[in-house]
Amino acid sequence: MILFKKTQSVCPICLRVLPAQRRAEDDGIYLDKVCPEHGAFSALIWEGDLRSYRLWAAESGISEPPVNARAAARGCPYDCGLCERHQRKGCCMLLEVTNRCDLRCPVCFAAAGDGPVKEPTLDEIARQYDFLLAHGGPFNIQLSGGEPTMRDDLPDILRIGRERGFSFFQLNTNGLRLAAEPGYAQTLKAAGLNTVFLQFDGVTDDVYRTLRGRPLLAQKQAAVRRCADAGLGVVLVPVIAPGVNDDQVGALLRWALERAPGVRGVHFQPLSWFGRCALPRPERPVTIPRMLALIERQTDGRMAAADFSGGGAENPYCSFHASYLRREDGSLRPLARRAEGGCCAATSDDARTAVADQWSGEGRRADFAPDGALSETSALDEFLRDARRSTFAVSGMVFQDAYTLDLDRLRRCYICEVDPTHGMVPFCAYNLTDAQGRALYRT
Amino acid sequence: MEDRTYYSIDPRGKLRCVKCGVSLVKGGARFLYLDNGFPVELPVCPKCGFVYVPEELALGKVLAVEKALEDK
Repeated sequence: MILFKKTQSVCPICLRVLPAQRRAEDDGIYLDKVCPEHGAFSALIWEGDLRSYRLWAAESGISEPPVNARAAARGCPYDCGLCERHQRKGCCMLLEVTNRCDLRCPVCFAAAGDGPVKEPTLDEIARQYDFLLAHGGPFNIQLSGGEPTMRDDLPDILRIGRERGFSFFQLNTNGLRLAAEPGYAQTLKAAGLNTVFLQFDGVTDDVYRTLRGRPLLAQKQAAVRRCADAGLGVVLVPVIAPGVNDDQVGALLRWALERAPGVRGVHFQPLSWFGRCALPRPERPVTIPRMLALIERQTDGRMAAADFSGGGAENPYCSFHASYLRREDGSLRPLARRAEGGCCAATSDDARTAVADQWSGEGRRADFAPDGALSETSALDEFLRDARRSTFAVSGMVFQDAYTLDLDRLRRCYICEVDPTHGMVPFCAYNLTDAQGRALYRT
Repeated sequence: MEDRTYYSIDPRGKLRCVKCGVSLVKGGARFLYLDNGFPVELPVCPKCGFVYVPEELALGKVLAVEKALEDK
């Protein structure tokens, strides 16, 4: 047993802030804490020894303060908005445009459909865009919910964002309306949508029955077809739940690769225990090393754990990613990881551009100067054209719940929910719930 | 650091190699990055092989290719 690097966390029962200690054992890294009222808690945060944990990434010391930050009074995680002690200015902002949903998933971080309908008006959404511009924007925008396509004025929401200079929009959706309504994907694209961030948990219907309450595979497949036909980029987003679909990681990747370049990549979200979650929290939830091992084993090594690295702008223990060039014979070549330490020097803006370029349905290519009389550089043009078509991204984010929350990680979060009362709230603070399901920020 | 000039532009706008005193001509060159080679043609000195890479090319397409080859 080795104790290392203290941090802070919260009590999973009452959410009070507690000192926390990282503890390395042979089978994993644990986060330990003791609440004077509710006792001791220990949560697995990494499967693997201390060496593997440290090799994953060097944490960057780059400071990138939020723009027009609010004063810190009570301390993290109670002053989000963002506060002056936050270490990232923000990359992707989630706008929850409704809490209505046409599914009632047993697993939903937003607990959509619970409580009265909440839907900001177009004027209120315009004010949220303006707030973002005054606080470091434009950012990448994810329209989320609930199910955003429940609103018939979704194209207007895209348009008023475009008018304000936001240039990358992704839609977090279950895909049902995209599948059912011919022309809907084209309508959203014409209004300014780049990418569909599609709930897509597996390649068999039993997975959807467990996680979504009913079989949905046919609709998901139809949604992907319609988006690809409309020129919208598609990113498949599987929640990975132990014992439910952790045996479908390879099948999901193969299914996605067969539909590239329409499908731009797969973004895994190991299940987190916040919001509404009908599944019991296991002793060993899915961590980054487990996710990478599942990818490697179930793709027979075509995608290897060593191809992946941690996020450069956010805390590297929050996410993992690799990009591959698909060759004509179907083989994959991992793109080079940046030089040692280089990946950790990325800023929120670097990440914002990289995500927008990779996930967009159609090129966001800059215009280049034409060749002069003595130059001929078509080899570079051909590569750029092919690289866009043949680059496939595999990534994932491990959200924190009240058991695993590490305030060092939270302070580097660059994915925020936009809240009319609180401002920009880091995703894992916004969705954090205590043992009774009460949230700090989500009302 | 010594300021060295490798090329000049004559009154007709033609590029010249300062070392050899001759005009650059269109010639084969190759960009190499992360195990990838890109055959191109650029202004080169026919005597010493000096290759002139226009700034807009270096900061445009070449930088875009570098970024595409690097994983972010």
